[in-house]
Amino acid sequence: MAERAMVEPSSTILVVDDEPGILQALEAGLSARGYDVVATESGAGALDAVRRIPDVVVLDLGLPDLDGVEICRRIRSWTDIPIIVLSADGSDDRKVAALDEGADDYITKPFSMPELLARVRVALRHRTQATPEPDAPVLQLGDLSVDLSLYRVRVGDREIDLTPKEFAFLALLVRNPGRVLTHRAILQQVWGPDYGTETQYLRVYASQLRKKLGDDPARPRLVTEPGVGYRLVDPDDEASHW
Amino acid sequence: MVSMRRLVVRGSSTWMGIVVGLVLVAGLTAMLLPLRRHVDEAGFALVLLLPVVVSGVIGASRAAAVTGVVGAAVFSYVFDPPAGEFKVRGIDDILALVVFLTVAVTVGLLVAAESDRRRAAEQRALEVQALYLRNQELAEEAARAQLLERVDEHRAAIMRSVSHDLRTPLATIRAVASDLRAGAAHDERTRDNLLDSVCAEAERLDRIVANLLSMSRIEAGILQPSRQAVDLEELVADRVRRLGRLFEGRTVRVGLAPDLPLVHADYTLLDQLLTNLLENAARHAPVGTEVAITSDWCERGVHIRVVDHGLGVPDEEAEKIFEPFQRGAGSASSGVGLAICRAIAEAHGGSIHVETTPGGGATFVVDLPAVSADAADTGVEHAELDGTHSDGAAAKAARADSVAAVGADPDDAGVGDG
Repeated sequence: MAERAMVEPSSTILVVDDEPGILQALEAGLSARGYDVVATESGAGALDAVRRIPDVVVLDLGLPDLDGVEICRRIRSWTDIPIIVLSADGSDDRKVAALDEGADDYITKPFSMPELLARVRVALRHRTQATPEPDAPVLQLGDLSVDLSLYRVRVGDREIDLTPKEFAFLALLVRNPGRVLTHRAILQQVWGPDYGTETQYLRVYASQLRKKLGDDPARPRLVTEPGVGYRLVDPDDEASHW
Repeated sequence: MVSMRRLVVRGSSTWMGIVVGLVLVAGLTAMLLPLRRHVDEAGFALVLLLPVVVSGVIGASRAAAVTGVVGAAVFSYVFDPPAGEFKVRGIDDILALVVFLTVAVTVGLLVAAESDRRRAAEQRALEVQALYLRNQELAEEAARAQLLERVDEHRAAIMRSVSHDLRTPLATIRAVASDLRAGAAHDERTRDNLLDSVCAEAERLDRIVANLLSMSRIEAGILQPSRQAVDLEELVADRVRRLGRLFEGRTVRVGLAPDLPLVHADYTLLDQLLTNLLENAARHAPVGTEVAITSDWCERGVHIRVVDHGLGVPDEEAEKIFEPFQRGAGSASSGVGLAICRAIAEAHGGSIHVETTPGGGATFVVDLPAVSADAADTGVEHAELDGTHSDGAAAKAARADSVAAVGADPDDAGVGDG
């Protein structure tokens, strides 16, 4: 099918969930798009399988044998394989904890398969692009371009004038396109290590940034993840909406 | 408030002691005057000690002292010869006066001290009581606050538990449905499996909702069985068939006593009880093991056992697992299933407990008591009325004639601790 053609050859996805139903659905859905799927029902199985270096890990946070946040921490202690966490909790605390422990993205159950596939594609893109090269300081996301060395921001041909904090906020997000960054992570990297709970700053700056970038409220570049953080997407990229 | 009343009592009782003492001195003097010639001084002195003691009891030390001094003066004036004057003749009189005064004041003081102690003790008792009452009030307030806090925590835990339980089957349903909608290229077998799991998860969702409804009925205290004659064989067979998919990789053995009587119970509730026990067993039985449903009966009632060979339930959790929203360690259970089982068993006048399966695992035992002959008769009637759809029903109804149907009078049935 058309979708199959988009998949990088031989991408392996490790899927971890103790619910047989969802495990089966994920396995079938990912296999149908040409991914190699390794499925396991336990945290111990996940830690074992991750040693064979899959390209992306899809990890349920509510496993019976090992805490999902702890699994993130252990994986992150030796590898930067992208981790997408699945959470059925009503509370955001666990997602945020997992993201702070190094998870790259999260999806709340119940999710749709195209939504998960989009997240997997974003994660795979991260895997292949890795970090931006230092001698290519201009980052591009759709019609948004950010020149990290000259502190210049453009949307199409339009030059955008940003304050230093706004620029730092945007630069952090554009270096991690499509990826959710927690409030805490943004505050600490933009404002400094003494910050972490001042989410009201972020609300103010996010709203200013959206206005200056001319975001369409229905399809913003700067997406709020309620209770968790922010992510920057290209609204015209089919991978970022579902 | 209390200490002010104490002061008032104290002040007025001193005056009261003095007044009573003086009245007694005057009265006794008047009574003794005519006998002056026949009674000696020591006798008068002893009589005049009486008012001192009395005023000491009533008015404490100060009243006793005043009465003692007045008594000494009266004694010296009236009775000590020569009468009618304060005249002290010789060492004898001085000695007598001093001794009287000393004795009077000492006795008065002793009595007063004792009376003071008694009063103080009473006062302390009152204060202790007041403190105790206040303490009790505070303790009650604290208990109420704690209860409210626990209720809040409980409610939050319920909400987490419920949303988790509802979302888990929904996750599969939504993932599969959206996947198929997006035109995923599955082979036919995968597609069938996916659709099967959507059906299974939808059924699971339905069971969770049924459990939640029952739980709310239990908590509202309105779980009333609507009784009819129930053929356990039919109920078990039907339920096992419906839940078959849950036991993939395990075997299910049904072993009911061949002469099992009909039970006089609520079919829907009993079905829910069995469903929860089987679902619980399916969750804990390892692949390759057997889950057994057995039932036998005696004069006291019918026993239903659901036996698995999983990890079993530790002794310290054997009671806790029947409380609502208690999940075992690492359990993915709904947290209400077993609580509902207990409430349903109790609503039928029965009970449920967990034992260790010989060789390891959990055995859940449901005891449903036999009912009176009247109730059993009603059971037979129902069985005959309802029995048209089942070939064996008439035979079973006949059997129920000789054997008590099961399930107690609803009136003395507990509705659980919800």
